[in-house]
Amino acid sequence: MNSHDFTVLGYVLILAAGVVVQLLATRTQARIPSLGDVVTRVMRTRTGRVGILVAWAWLGLHFFAR
Amino acid sequence: MEFSRRRKQTGGKQTGSGQQRAAARPAPGEHGSPDERAVACAAVVSAADSAAPGDRLVVALAGFREPIVVILFLIAFFTAISGKPLDGLLLLIVATGLAWDAAARYRGHAAARSGALAEPGTTASAETTPPVGRRQSVGPAHAGQPGDRSLLEQLRPGGRRLALVLAGFGFAAVYAVLVGSFIRYSWPATVGVIALGATVVATGWRGPLRHRPDPGPLPLPGAALWAVLLVAGGLWELSSLLQQPDLSATSYAHPTISALTDPVLASHVGRSVALAVWLAIGWLLVDR
Repeated sequence: MNSHDFTVLGYVLILAAGVVVQLLATRTQARIPSLGDVVTRVMRTRTGRVGILVAWAWLGLHFFAR
Repeated sequence: MEFSRRRKQTGGKQTGSGQQRAAARPAPGEHGSPDERAVACAAVVSAADSAAPGDRLVVALAGFREPIVVILFLIAFFTAISGKPLDGLLLLIVATGLAWDAAARYRGHAAARSGALAEPGTTASAETTPPVGRRQSVGPAHAGQPGDRSLLEQLRPGGRRLALVLAGFGFAAVYAVLVGSFIRYSWPATVGVIALGATVVATGWRGPLRHRPDPGPLPLPGAALWAVLLVAGGLWELSSLLQQPDLSATSYAHPTISALTDPVLASHVGRSVALAVWLAIGWLLVDR
């Protein structure tokens, strides 16, 4: 396994962990909020709401805009 | 109005820059919860409201007590110096607007508290003011007159939602195909993304499109799991970025997420699919 594979494996593991946590939150009785609940809670305040939306807009700018 | 007069009458006696700065400082034991920050900022605002212009700066800076405002300013700065001045400028505009908005709300808190103190028996609670971030349903004054209503308004609620969803899908498909046909980082692609991003942020700024129940306080260990994952992803990406030969030159050995997505986004189909996913996430967020 070279550095490239190791780096990609890191991303895959973090992504997989996110999927597992989401499944635990939605399919079991574990006291884990789903990602949707966390986002909804953060977006209850205006600064949190705008912060999340700006993060989303920044993704589009980062990948497509000059 | 009444409380405003009283505040002006008493404010001149109380205000001194030293006192205001003392009020701005967190008290010993302050933990920085939103309520405590609001109370502290309300004190600053009420103290500086009728004071010298220099003290008004203290009021304006109250918005900087919001962590997200500070984070946005930092992102704007680092985005600008890393070769994306336009992104940096847009982020700077949003951060400034948010700081201004937060300072205005602190001013409102101060006014509400002063009003409650000035008039015993009245309470300036959340019930007396519109809930923050929730749209008021503003129907047309002539509601109930079918002849004057638009076609969309004449549909039943279920049909109206279906029509909106179908229109949204149609727009998303056209947008994804059209903007996806432009080369990345070209001006047409930049205009398309900025226009949509600005529209969504401006729409979301006013509050959610429809009311959603508050999920209540989140269980801390479970919520912390998400924070850990977010930080881990960010640090992994940062370590890859710092191991590149140059900040603007990608590395095969240590690819960032941007570098990994380059092959996908090189084709029209890939760009269109990515834009459709981005659009869908934006819709889900602005609807929350």
